[in-house]
Amino acid sequence: MRDGAGSASLAKNEQPHAARAFLAGWGSGSRLRVTAVPIGAALIAAALLAVFESDFYRSQNLHVLMQQCSVLGIVTLGQLLVLLVGGIDLSVGAVMNATLIIIAVMNRHHTQLATSIVLSLCLGVGVGLVNGLLVSLRDVPPFAATLGMLACIQGAILVYTKGVPAGNIPRELRPVALDGVGIVPYSLIICLAIALVLWFALRRGTYGRKIYAVGRSPEVARRVAISTTSVRVSAYVMCGLFAAMAGIILSAYVGYVDPTIGGNYNLQSIAAAVVGGVAFTGGEGSVVGALTGVVFLLALLNVVTLSSLNPFMQLIIQGAVMLVAVSVFQFLKKSPAN
Amino acid sequence: MFRQHLAIGRRARGMVITAAVIALATAVAVGTSSGARTATPTIAFVSQGTSNSWAAQLDAVARKTANRLGAKLVYYNGQGDATKQLPELQTAIATHPDAMVVVPLGQAADTGPVERAMSAGIPVVLCDSKINSDKYTSLVNPNPATATVPLAEWLAKKMHYKGDLLYIGGLPGNGTTILYDQGFHQVMNKYKNIHVVNGGNANYSISTAKQLAATAIASGKKFTGTWGVGGEAVTGILQAYVDAGVKPIPPNAGASVTNGNLRLVIENKVQAAMLQFPPADSKVCVETAYKAAMGQKVPKEINISKLPQYGNLYPPLNKYYKPQYTDDYYVGTDAVLSKSELAAIHLVK
Repeated sequence: MRDGAGSASLAKNEQPHAARAFLAGWGSGSRLRVTAVPIGAALIAAALLAVFESDFYRSQNLHVLMQQCSVLGIVTLGQLLVLLVGGIDLSVGAVMNATLIIIAVMNRHHTQLATSIVLSLCLGVGVGLVNGLLVSLRDVPPFAATLGMLACIQGAILVYTKGVPAGNIPRELRPVALDGVGIVPYSLIICLAIALVLWFALRRGTYGRKIYAVGRSPEVARRVAISTTSVRVSAYVMCGLFAAMAGIILSAYVGYVDPTIGGNYNLQSIAAAVVGGVAFTGGEGSVVGALTGVVFLLALLNVVTLSSLNPFMQLIIQGAVMLVAVSVFQFLKKSPAN
Repeated sequence: MFRQHLAIGRRARGMVITAAVIALATAVAVGTSSGARTATPTIAFVSQGTSNSWAAQLDAVARKTANRLGAKLVYYNGQGDATKQLPELQTAIATHPDAMVVVPLGQAADTGPVERAMSAGIPVVLCDSKINSDKYTSLVNPNPATATVPLAEWLAKKMHYKGDLLYIGGLPGNGTTILYDQGFHQVMNKYKNIHVVNGGNANYSISTAKQLAATAIASGKKFTGTWGVGGEAVTGILQAYVDAGVKPIPPNAGASVTNGNLRLVIENKVQAAMLQFPPADSKVCVETAYKAAMGQKVPKEINISKLPQYGNLYPPLNKYYKPQYTDDYYVGTDAVLSKSELAAIHLVK
């Protein structure tokens, strides 16, 4: 048995003092730093934007930015969970592609939208479950497991569609991304609701303690009777589910069958999480930090688009700002004052 | 008795081996001699591969054309990726076919193998994209550098030669994108009152194009024209305008013609001009390779855009839209494929 179940009785009786201290420390100063730094940087950036690119604050532009943030936000929240347990998920983009294909193909066959949504969510859960089991039970490195899954899903899509993903996005799905309350799209409300639940679960709930514990030290987590397998699998399942939800919202936003729709989201979601202070090593990061990373990345893209710079310069600026942001963050995190 | 059988067996085996060696030698001699051609030539088709609807139509047309000509088409799947196509290309060369049709995915990466194939005496027809060398037998290609010029001129005229023009690019460094940009900038640089607003590169993704265009539209600029490099960019631009509720949508050019782009343009009453990048041109590619395999002379370059059926399309575009087919259908594919063949690749509604 690979998880804590086998050693549970032993651990319950001799729960070491160090392990308890370890668990108690999960919510202390370090997490505050990881959250405060990206928020501070975002506030400074917001002030600079007001001065140098006033078009940024037009309500129409903010509406577009919120639409885009909601999709990347939901994917990044899933990626956050996986990164927190020391993993990575490279199959989120493929799940989003598959979701689009399911919706379009089922719409062509006049299947009810609710059915295709449920099927899409089930696919996300299924992919997450397989990823989680491969990583936890078979010891497959997360990078390899999820990359393999990506290839399987993309291959399955091609076999099924023969490269022609014919169909249309149902009109009744589109308001999810396009309409909203004032300038706030429904998709962002969904994203924030998920974020709120996740924030509560990670900060206040037992589940959060387990997630951070498994990410920081699986060995110690096992010693305090945490089932590392179930925690890891649950993180991958949630990630798959969130990717499917994001895929549905992105389909509604784009409104067109694009077989490459989720292609950028693997790296974008990882980048957003890392910019937002989530550590690759696991056990470090927060919902607020991850969402701040999302806003930072997309606001940056938005600003360079508004600036109408040469596209090659746009890439350099985006890359440079990201590198500086991550470097400054790492520096502050390791500084003696902290 | 057993030994006798064994001796007869050995003699028979010896005769079979001798016959096989003679047959093989004859086949090699026939296969490598430049003058002699087989009745059923083998054409290696190194395709873009299973990746999108354009490639699916390209492959289906190529297969049907080879079948009609009585050629044996051996298919190599590039899987839409230059790095995956390269070993397929090398395998195809190793089989020494009578001719090859290559759809280059890597302009630089495919140069060496194509040159080696030519050195080995295999005629190579490049289909829809170039390589960094002129060592090939024939290039069958819509030439975006020249075909985009009249499109850009049309757009400039529609803009009354002034105002902001939203530009959404293709894939940086990609051969087709470079050619597209050449024609576009050649025209727009002439008109100083047209201000090209660079919306970024969509990398041939509809969703990226839509996000970029939506941001540019939300900036509040009133664009008097829009240009997208390729069908995906234009679909994204139009979808962004439709969702933003901006009316009228400014004139657009740059799309490669798909049924989906035509539908969007017609439904939303957009003035648009489009370039044809037809997958049905694999018919010309295979026919050219067949002629080369049969030892006939073929032109060094066939500019598809100059063929009457594959020229640029200008308004009114209604006559080109086919509501019975899906958005992925490219104009002209039904001139080669039957309805059942189109249905087999999911193009019939």
